Amino acid sequence: MDPSGNMSDGGRGINRVTSIGVAAHELKSPLVLLRQLALELSSGDVSPSEQKHILGQMTHISEKALRLTSDLTRVEGQSTLFELSPVNPMDVARDVRTELAGLYKAHGRSLKVSRIRNLPPVIANRDLLRRILLNFADNALHYADVNGAVELQAQLLAERSTVRISVRDHGPHMPLANWRKLTNTLEASQPVYARPQSSGLGLYIAGEFARSMNARIGAIRHQDGASFYVELPVSRQLSLL
Amino acid sequence: MTTRVVVVEDDAWLAEHYLRILRRGGYETYHAAHALGAIDIIDDVRPHAILLDVLLTGTTALALLHELRTHADLTAIPIVLATNLADQIRLEDVESYGVKRILDKATMHPDDITAAVRGVLA
Repeated sequence: MDPSGNMSDGGRGINRVTSIGVAAHELKSPLVLLRQLALELSSGDVSPSEQKHILGQMTHISEKALRLTSDLTRVEGQSTLFELSPVNPMDVARDVRTELAGLYKAHGRSLKVSRIRNLPPVIANRDLLRRILLNFADNALHYADVNGAVELQAQLLAERSTVRISVRDHGPHMPLANWRKLTNTLEASQPVYARPQSSGLGLYIAGEFARSMNARIGAIRHQDGASFYVELPVSRQLSLL
Repeated sequence: MTTRVVVVEDDAWLAEHYLRILRRGGYETYHAAHALGAIDIIDDVRPHAILLDVLLTGTTALALLHELRTHADLTAIPIVLATNLADQIRLEDVESYGVKRILDKATMHPDDITAAVRGVLA
């Protein structure tokens, strides 16, 4: 990883065996929670309103686990070339906000999209970009403080050649040792455990998807949380018209 | 007198589940989502027991256990670990930190949570 926090390329595929173990570990968490909630429901001690609440949670947990398995299938099938085309990144950000609105609401949080004017389209695969942002936003949901906002942001970087799309969370300050571990592991294209709820495999998947689009992911540590971002090349196609 | 239990768990919905189970068992419950917040709550509440996850966001449970050992008035609080890493942690290795029970999240029953807390308070 360079000093600005960007991930370097390389290492793709060499950690596949490691990632299977991590995938198993990460899928264990939602399964554990589903089992606990199912056992609680079957105990008969829950009120009708609690029952409705728990069933709603079980639905969201299942959907999250299914997203993860679907992403893993995509990562495994990366020998297929993904079609790249001009994509409006803010449209994708808004789709992600809509897709996760129910999950965020169930956690009592909200996901905001910052308005950016005159942002050019980027060269990307719309579905992969969506999946990257879903992973970042899901990670942020679990890391952010209860009252901490999560925000999807975009900015045009130097020389107007790259757009950075970030998911900014506000959570507990990450100790430097943990942060170094996270960034070093990102560089090595390995799943990481520094943010145990979802970032390990989610960030690994996001990195693999980014590489398929000649994009890169990175992270910025803030005093009160973190930003995870993907950088994509600006599409020159439309600017030539 | 009500028995106070602090739950340290960064999965919000799993924590919610623990709190419901413990409240039904008659315990007064408090929740911290991460180790730093846990220290403050434990210091304020002075719980009778702590239910602690291991892989916490940011600082891990081990750092929290170390921190608790440095406070003379908090060292006597019994701790129950509830973890996905139960097969990798031996009770004898963590007993010196006040850990009295280890629950395996993958195999435990909700009743085991109250049973473990009751057990460490006996």
